Amino acid sequence: MELNTYEQEVFNYQRSNIEKFGKRNMIWSLFFLIFIMIGLYALYLQIAKGHGVTGMRDNVVWGLFIVNFIFFIGLSYAGAIIGGVLHLLKVPWGKPIVRLAQMMTLISVIVGPIFILLCVGRFDRLHHLFIYPRIQSPMTWDVMAVLTFFAGAVLFLYLALIKDFAVYRDAKMNIPAWKQKLYKILAIGYRGAASQKRHLIISQNLLAIIMVPLSIIVASILSWIFGMTLRPGWHSTIFGPYFVLGALYSGCGVLIVAMWVYRKMYKLEHYFTDKHFSYLGYGMMVLGAGYGYFTFSEYFTGWFGSAKWDNEVINKLFSFHEYGGWTLFANLAGIVIPILIVAIPATRKPNWITLSAFIMVIALWVKRYLIIVPTLETPALPMQDTRMEFVKYSATWPEWALTIAGIASFLLFFTLISKFVTVVPVSGLEEVNFPHEPHHHHHDVATNKDEIKPA
Amino acid sequence: MKQELIKNSIRHILKYAMLILLCIPVNLFAQTDSTATKEADTKEEAGLIAPALDFIIVQKSDSTIDLKAAMRAKIKGSLMRLPLLKITFFQVSDTAEKNLGFVITDNNGKAVLTVKKDALTNVKDGSLLFKASFAGNKQMESADGEMTVKRGLLQITPVKEDSLLTVKVKFITPGNGMDSAMKDVTIGIFVKRFFSALKIGEGTTDENGEVTVEIPGNLPGDDKGNLILMAKIDENETFGNLEASVTQPWGLPVSASLEKQPRALWSAHPPIWMLITFIVMMVIVWGHFIIIVYELFRLRKEEPHLEETITNT
Repeated sequence: MELNTYEQEVFNYQRSNIEKFGKRNMIWSLFFLIFIMIGLYALYLQIAKGHGVTGMRDNVVWGLFIVNFIFFIGLSYAGAIIGGVLHLLKVPWGKPIVRLAQMMTLISVIVGPIFILLCVGRFDRLHHLFIYPRIQSPMTWDVMAVLTFFAGAVLFLYLALIKDFAVYRDAKMNIPAWKQKLYKILAIGYRGAASQKRHLIISQNLLAIIMVPLSIIVASILSWIFGMTLRPGWHSTIFGPYFVLGALYSGCGVLIVAMWVYRKMYKLEHYFTDKHFSYLGYGMMVLGAGYGYFTFSEYFTGWFGSAKWDNEVINKLFSFHEYGGWTLFANLAGIVIPILIVAIPATRKPNWITLSAFIMVIALWVKRYLIIVPTLETPALPMQDTRMEFVKYSATWPEWALTIAGIASFLLFFTLISKFVTVVPVSGLEEVNFPHEPHHHHHDVATNKDEIKPA
Repeated sequence: MKQELIKNSIRHILKYAMLILLCIPVNLFAQTDSTATKEADTKEEAGLIAPALDFIIVQKSDSTIDLKAAMRAKIKGSLMRLPLLKITFFQVSDTAEKNLGFVITDNNGKAVLTVKKDALTNVKDGSLLFKASFAGNKQMESADGEMTVKRGLLQITPVKEDSLLTVKVKFITPGNGMDSAMKDVTIGIFVKRFFSALKIGEGTTDENGEVTVEIPGNLPGDDKGNLILMAKIDENETFGNLEASVTQPWGLPVSASLEKQPRALWSAHPPIWMLITFIVMMVIVWGHFIIIVYELFRLRKEEPHLEETITNT
C-alpha cells in the first residue's frame, strides 16, 4: 500500500500506539478487569442462588439490566447512524471521527445484549427463540433486530478497516508474528488496485445506505417493546422516534467523551480538533432540543389527558417523595445544560462541551431508568404480594456490580481495540479532512490552501 | 471540672446510642411471624417431621359420605402440603375398627374416600365415629384424626313458579324406618363457579326442616345455561358438613370456549401482512450483507501481484 503524505504522517504519528501496549494501558486494563471479575462473581451468585439476589420481583420484572441494555444498544444505533451519515454525505471534517463512531457501534452492540442474557432466567431455553419464534411478538422482533444489527456493525467496522489493515500489514512494524499474520488475513489481499477499490467502495456505500435506516428501525423496535404494551408511561405513539432521538443524543455525547479521552491519551489534538468538539457540540445541541421537545410532549399529553394510571405514573415522576429529584436531574442535566453550554460562546470549549456531554450521558441513563421502573411499579391490577420489596424496586449490589462490570468491559474493549487499530483512520485521509490545520510538521504544505468547511 | 467532663461525655454517648437505636429498623427484632398458626402437632422435632392430619366429613344427598384427610407439616418454617402418603380410613364402633380402605394423598396433600351407605355398620343412636390414620415412615411420625357425626341428609328441590326461581331444601335425620325433620338449622345456598362455590343466600329451617331460598335469574351458566345449585351446612357440631346439589338450566348461557378471535396476542399465527413485512425486511437487509460479503470475496480474489501493484501506483 502506497500512502500519500497525509496518510503517511497520520500513520507515523500513531504507529507506536499499536506497536506497544504501554504500562499505563496495562494498568487501565487490569483496573477494568478487577471490576469485571467482581461482576462475574455477582453473576455466579445470580446463577447459583437465582434471580432472587437481584431487586427484580413479580411486579417490577425489569431493572438495571434492561436500563443498561437500552443504554448501550442505543449508543450502538447512534454510532451507526452518525458513522453512516458522515460517510454518505462525505463530510470532510468527519473522516477522523468515523472510526470512533464505528468502534462505539460494535462495542456497545456486544456489551448491550449481555444484559438481556443476565435478565433471562433460563439460558438453556435461549434457542427456543429461534425454533419457536412468534413473529407477532415485539420480543422476537427485537432479538432478530439486534442480531441483524450486530452482523451489520461487524461489517461496518471491518469494511472501514480493510485499507488500514493493508497499511499495517505493509508497514513492517515491530509487532509479534501473530499480530502481523492477523493483519495479513484481515487485509484480505488488499493492495489498492483499481478493481479492489471499486469493490470496497460499492460495499461501503451499500452498507452505509442500509445501516442508517436499519438503525432507525431497530431503535424503534426496541421502543416498541414498551410502546406496544398497554401500560401507563409506555403505550405511546411517539416512543419510536423518541428512542431514535434519545439514542442519537446519548451516542453523540459518548462520542464527544471518547474523542476527549483519546485526544488526551494519544495526544491527537491535530486530528480531534476544537472544531470537532464544536461541530459535534452543535449536533448535540440540536438533538438535545429535539429530545427535549419529545420529552415535553410526552409528559404534557400524559398529564393533560390524566387517564387514571397515566396520571399515577406522572405523579410519581414529578413528586419529590418519589422520582421527582431524578426527573429534575434527567431533564436539567440531560437537556438544559448541554444546550446552554454549547449555545454560550464562552463555554463552547472542548472541556466544557465534554463535561456537559458526560453529565448528559448519565442523565440519559437515569432517564431510561425513569421510563422502566416507575411504570412497572404502577400495575393496572392490584398487587398480590404487597411486601415492600415487591412493591418498590431497589437495585441490589449484584445488579450494580454487573452494571459496573458492563461499563468496565465497554471501556476495556475501547482500550484493547485502540491497541489493535489506529484510532484515527490512516487510509483515505486527505487535506480536506482536517477542519483546522493539518499536522504542524506539514504546516508548509497546507498554508497555501484554504480551509474547507462543511456546508 | 473533670467529673463534669465525664458526665457530659456519658450523656453524649447515651444520646447518640439512643439515636442509633432509633435508626435501627424495628423489624430486625420482630422475627416471629405473628400470623403463623401455633399448633403443637405441626412443630418440627429433631430429625423427624411431625405432620398434622386435618380430617373432615361431608355427608351428601345420595347418602354417601366423603371422608377427607389433608396432610401438612411445618418444614423449615414454612407450611408444606404432603403428597404421596398413605391414609387409611376406619369406622370405629364399640366392638371393632372396620377398615374402609386407603387413599394416597395428592399434590395438595389431600386424600378423599367416598363411603357408601351399605359399607357402614349401623349404629343404634345414628352417630358414626370415623378415624383417618397415617402410619408414619422413615422421615415422618405417625398422625391421625377422629371425628364423630350424626347421620343427616340434605335434600334440594328446585321450584319454579312463574318467573320466580327458588330452591326448597329439607334437612332430615334418617331414623329406624322414620325420618325426623331438623329445625332451626342455618343452611347456605351456593352456586358452583369456576374455582369455588359462590354464596347466593341462606335460610333457617322451619319445624318441617324446610327452607326456601330465592335464586337470581341472571347468573351466568355454562353454554346451555346450566347452573349447579348447592345447599350446604358447614361444620355443624353434631352433623359435620352436609351437601346436596342439583343442576337446573336457570342461568344465562355463556360459552366457555373462546369465541373465534380475528386478532389476539395469543393467536397461533401472525397476520399475513406482518409475516410478509418481516420476511421482506429481513431479506432486504441480509441480502445487502450477502452482497457485501460477496464483494469482499471478489476483492480478495483480485489481489494483484506485488510487482504489479508497485508499478501501478
